[in-house]
Amino acid sequence: MAVTALVHRLAASAPVPVFAAVGEDGLRAVDRLAVDPRVDLVASPLHAALLLVVGTIRDDDRPELERLHDQLPHPRATVSWGGNAVFEGEAVDGTVDPLPLLSDMHRALMTRARPSEPDLLPNAPPNDWRGKGDFGQGGEGMMGGVPYGRPMPMTDDDMRDGLALDAYSAPFGPFLPQFPAGLTLDLTLQGDVIQQAKVLRPPYPQHESGGAAVALRHVARMLRLLGLPARAERVLHDGPRERLAQTLSRWGAFAAIPPGLGMIDGTDVRGRLRAWCAEAGGGAGPVVEDDGPLTDLLPGLEWHEAVLVLNSLPDAALRRLVPVPKPDDDQGEHKHEHHHDHHHHDHDHGHGEAHG
Amino acid sequence: MMAVAAFVSLFALLILGTALAAVMDRAAVALASGRPMGAALKEPARRAAALLLRQKVETERPDSITWPLAPVAYLMLAAVGLSVVPFAPGVVVTDISTGIVLWGACEALTVIVVFLHGWSANAPMALIGGYRYVGIGLPVLLLSMFVLIAAALPAESLSVVEIVRAQEAGLWNVVRQPPGLALFLILGLMLTLRGPFDYADAEDLAGGTKAEASGPHRLAWRVARLAMLVSFSAMAATAFLGGYLGPVLPGPLWLVLKTVAVMAAVIAAGHMLARLPPSRMLTTVWVVLLPLSFLVLVLVGVELLLWP
Repeated sequence: MAVTALVHRLAASAPVPVFAAVGEDGLRAVDRLAVDPRVDLVASPLHAALLLVVGTIRDDDRPELERLHDQLPHPRATVSWGGNAVFEGEAVDGTVDPLPLLSDMHRALMTRARPSEPDLLPNAPPNDWRGKGDFGQGGEGMMGGVPYGRPMPMTDDDMRDGLALDAYSAPFGPFLPQFPAGLTLDLTLQGDVIQQAKVLRPPYPQHESGGAAVALRHVARMLRLLGLPARAERVLHDGPRERLAQTLSRWGAFAAIPPGLGMIDGTDVRGRLRAWCAEAGGGAGPVVEDDGPLTDLLPGLEWHEAVLVLNSLPDAALRRLVPVPKPDDDQGEHKHEHHHDHHHHDHDHGHGEAHG
Repeated sequence: MMAVAAFVSLFALLILGTALAAVMDRAAVALASGRPMGAALKEPARRAAALLLRQKVETERPDSITWPLAPVAYLMLAAVGLSVVPFAPGVVVTDISTGIVLWGACEALTVIVVFLHGWSANAPMALIGGYRYVGIGLPVLLLSMFVLIAAALPAESLSVVEIVRAQEAGLWNVVRQPPGLALFLILGLMLTLRGPFDYADAEDLAGGTKAEASGPHRLAWRVARLAMLVSFSAMAATAFLGGYLGPVLPGPLWLVLKTVAVMAAVIAAGHMLARLPPSRMLTTVWVVLLPLSFLVLVLVGVELLLWP
């Protein structure tokens, strides 16, 4: 018993693992929270105890948010910070620091003083398959149907080295932390190479006018994606300063990024990262004038490269580069979505029938 | 008697080393990010306790044998790999003439276990992490073999015990072949899924193979990673830094000190350099690092021919 009590006490004083679902105007607040050592902003909902909904969430994104909620392991709870409160959970005003509440709730969850939130959705497979088809596994013929709940992937022509693999299509977003908040893309992947990209929903506006602080947060986000999370925190901690580009050079940040990656208007990801660094020191930030669609830029890129491209773009430019889907497009999209209704965001597998 | 001492030493080093690695890891994060250092000592235990109390979520139709087995196998490979390392003259768990080969097998199986971890969750991000890791892991394994054979050349034996004896008679391998140690550290980053060689569990994939791991499963995976760091560091200390050799202090203490030094170097390297996108790294490893490791092997061979 003493051991159990000790474990509960230790767990209660651990940094609070938070998964942030970012809505309109929520990014600034989340980035501020990221540098606090009492909070662990985690990359996957399965690593979190608290779901923090920041800013206003579109009605369209509600189903995804509910699925996200159900992926958090028990014991779990939700906090809405600013914007529209979406679940029961707790709500705090956007002007209030949520940290005391987050800490208290985590402590209460870990000591079992607060009950865990139940699932919002039934734990059902994405497609009904049991007892269907010739063998009761949901398949039809050789490759058709939804064997065990999912359509079979088929080999597809490869655009890079001719090694044809199974192509895999799924929607990614709108709360994938590696994507700009709200952006939902329907991607066809072969391995980690993007073959096709279609926009399902545009990113949330963050209404950021630029300036050193915004640029610094962009630099930090790029550093995190380059595998330097502690360095990213240091950059935010130290605040805006000059000669940031030289520092990043020493860490190999520019050398790591392939030259020519994500070229828009003659500037690549490297160039834009350099411009963000310059802006953090009081100079001019990246200029992206072109309005060619982003979806033409992604095919052929590896996942890691694509994520770097998406995060190198200023908020306003990103919204301009993302064509908003036409209404009749939307119809087709829904049909498609129903067919592969898996991974609405990064990991939706938690929703299978086995999920407890 | 020696066998008992060897077993006790192995488990003591693995358990205490893993705990120390967890603290060093947090301290390194604090140092690199500018957070207060004070929490580093207690934080690993707190984080571990919090993971223990959270639910282990089951994904939809996972490979239910491989999924829980992957962290266990990872941990066991760390223990088996460490078993070829002598703690003092005559104190070694697996005293075979092909110790380097056994260690090499543990390296290769680690790549497979990490892949299986990504595969068995039945989820896209985890699977991409697994595939990427194999792509980068394969050439790094080749590199480590060249470097290890170069370390074994002066001993004219593949026995880890003989490699230490040869360093006692002659020079420590780090003096004879310093680039060898630097290249071997790359293997350490790869085997422990760290910094510039963490293609399996990276942030851009929402945690990669561990994206679907929650609660105790995630804790087990973390412990296995840290245990592998201890195992790798002890191997590097033995192959390049003379293992238990050293003046004044007792042999096992020297081994521990050197192991901790290598651990610190690997942890620091993990925070120092940016990670390249996979295809760029693949080119770098095949075109630059692999030929470099072969060059090290050739140079050591020529040196031994000229000055035997």
